Amino acid sequence: MSDAIAIPPLAVAGTDLALESNAVLPGGVTLTLEPPASRWSLRARTAEALGAVIGRAVPTRIGETLDGIACLGPDEWLADPPAGTVVPDGAGQPVSVVDVSARGVVIRVEGASAARVLCSGCPLDLERFAVGRATRTVFETVEVIVWREQADMFRVFVWRSFAPWLWHALKAVQLG
Amino acid sequence: MLLIRCPYCEEDRPEVEFVYGGEAHIARPLDPAALSDQDWEHYLYIRRNPRGRHHERWRHTHGCGRFFNAVRDTVSDRFEQTYKAGEARR
Ligand SMILES: [Zn+2]
Repeated sequence: MSDAIAIPPLAVAGTDLALESNAVLPGGVTLTLEPPASRWSLRARTAEALGAVIGRAVPTRIGETLDGIACLGPDEWLADPPAGTVVPDGAGQPVSVVDVSARGVVIRVEGASAARVLCSGCPLDLERFAVGRATRTVFETVEVIVWREQADMFRVFVWRSFAPWLWHALKAVQLG
Repeated sequence: MLLIRCPYCEEDRPEVEFVYGGEAHIARPLDPAALSDQDWEHYLYIRRNPRGRHHERWRHTHGCGRFFNAVRDTVSDRFEQTYKAGEARR
């Protein structure tokens, strides 16, 4: 007799992590847990090689983003495209396309003091971090990817096992 | 906070994003089996440990993920320069 093993859908939902879907900090900054979405880690020797395989231009400078794709390193990109976007698997090509939808969640930090809230634990000067930039960095000791979508809105990508800690750490930020 | 210039990101980044990787420019012997025990020990364990200018590897772990080389003064802890992996010793 064997029990069937339930395989959850790939993408992680906040409910899987027992987190509420949003919170408002005393300073008016809101935290929102984004709904599950499909994401890919893309690796290739050059942006041209990657672009040829997935059929669209990708950013070439580290830190740049273009249409939902962020360049994280000289041979690494994170794709967070609009729902329904088809990403080729790259079979047979000198690229790597890995579905990382189950790897983590995205916390939106939004409000006039959003940069200050993140700077309470992130060593980068996010006040001067250009809109449209994305980078891997840390919040306290947890690795995150910070993506500045708008002047007052950052998306913070974090691995699922770190997400509850980060959520509560952000909720506890007190701006002096 | 110490800032380290990543030659791939081309900007100064906080030290906590990096991990130290030991002395740089130590080539792995092409045919380890041909080495004497003493030569193998030397390759594995013996380092220059200089007082002053030191060539060393760092990795921008919580950033672009790349290994690169740096010249750092072991007395002042000052980074003289950093350059990409594979480039000639400076
Ligand atoms: Zn870097």
